[in-house]
Amino acid sequence: MHYSLRFEWLGMVFDISTILMILVTSLVVLLLCIGMTRNLTSATPSGAQNVMEWIVDFVTGITKSYISPKKAAGFVSLALTLFLYIFIGNQLGLVFNVNTTHHNAEGQQVSEKVKDMLTVSTNEEAKQQKLAKLEEELNSTDPHSHGVVIGWWKSPTATPSVTFALALTVLLYAHYLGMKKSFGGWLKHTFLNPIHILEEFIIKPLTLPLRLFGNIFAGEVLIAFLLSVGIFGSIPLFLWLGYSVFVGSVQAFIFTTLAMVYISQQVNEDH
Amino acid sequence: MLDFGAVSLEWGTLLTQAIVFLLLLLLVRKLAMGPIVGIMEKRRQHIENQISTAERNRAEAEALLAEQRRVLDEARAESKAIIDRATKQASDEANKIVAEAQAASERLKADASAELAREVEKAKLELREQMTSLSVLLASKIIEKELDEAAQKSTVDKFLAQVGDRL
Repeated sequence: MHYSLRFEWLGMVFDISTILMILVTSLVVLLLCIGMTRNLTSATPSGAQNVMEWIVDFVTGITKSYISPKKAAGFVSLALTLFLYIFIGNQLGLVFNVNTTHHNAEGQQVSEKVKDMLTVSTNEEAKQQKLAKLEEELNSTDPHSHGVVIGWWKSPTATPSVTFALALTVLLYAHYLGMKKSFGGWLKHTFLNPIHILEEFIIKPLTLPLRLFGNIFAGEVLIAFLLSVGIFGSIPLFLWLGYSVFVGSVQAFIFTTLAMVYISQQVNEDH
Repeated sequence: MLDFGAVSLEWGTLLTQAIVFLLLLLLVRKLAMGPIVGIMEKRRQHIENQISTAERNRAEAEALLAEQRRVLDEARAESKAIIDRATKQASDEANKIVAEAQAASERLKADASAELAREVEKAKLELREQMTSLSVLLASKIIEKELDEAAQKSTVDKFLAQVGDRL
């Protein structure tokens, strides 16, 4: 498995390559959105505006099929951003790979600082284990060894931190909307039924992010495996890349849909 | 941080993603959704306007058509009335002229016959006067002859002489 550089700040761990991918994905989404909404016309649209209007219509369709029509308009921006971010994020990992490999060679030692960043862990014991493994790979003289590989380019959605962040943002927002509508009603609905407690605090917060993460992560693992197989992996690789485009689109759609469903459960009058 | 070896959940990355996502949401809402929803709404209204305008125009056209039809019918009825009236007037006029002409000819005929009668009467009167004077003359001639033979003789002579003179 690829390593990544991490650092600790304010007691929290930050993954540098994931954060880079988060920024790249956000930037791509933002540039796409801005690029496709320049020179808008209310007459017959063409080119980029057509695409953007189709996407907005599509997302509005998802929103309106779950949230009552009067309130749906307020959630279209959220659905659009979620959909585009997850969709672009899923596809970005398929485009190419940027890896750096590191060896301990003559006159080129990996610094202690980098080693420390590569082995950030929850406790000292785990850190020592990782460090030992890292040293072994760095100093390997086996000609088949790749050395230590740091992956710089991957789908941000192949990282649980990202999918949990998106899912928890949506779920917290949904609960906030429920409380704002009627605090008593929210309390009654959430805590009176044990099934609902389970649903709201365990099932939804786990299934929503893990579904997305699992699909994309598994896809990337398989891609990495097929790449390592060599020439025999090329045909399955192309097939799997095509399928991954499909999976990435479907997962973006599912995540957006479920987000709207969860919000609708909190804001709709009857459920 | 939850660490499962190849997979780990880092709170720092999670928080970064949440913040970046919220920023992205704000930017997308402001820079993309605002304009595109505005433009789509504008188009929707434009189309609605077009439809309502078209419907209004159609209703107007229908009303105009009905009005035209009504006016045309009116004009037709009026022209028919005018023609009828004119025809009637013309025939009345003709009848009147004929009647007048008849009356005039009757009058002329009457005048002429009256004139004739007067002329005849006048001729009769004249004849009668001449007859009277001739009778008186004849009578006087007869009486004169019986009165005086000599005188008669001289008269004849005188007459003859007169005739001679005339000759």
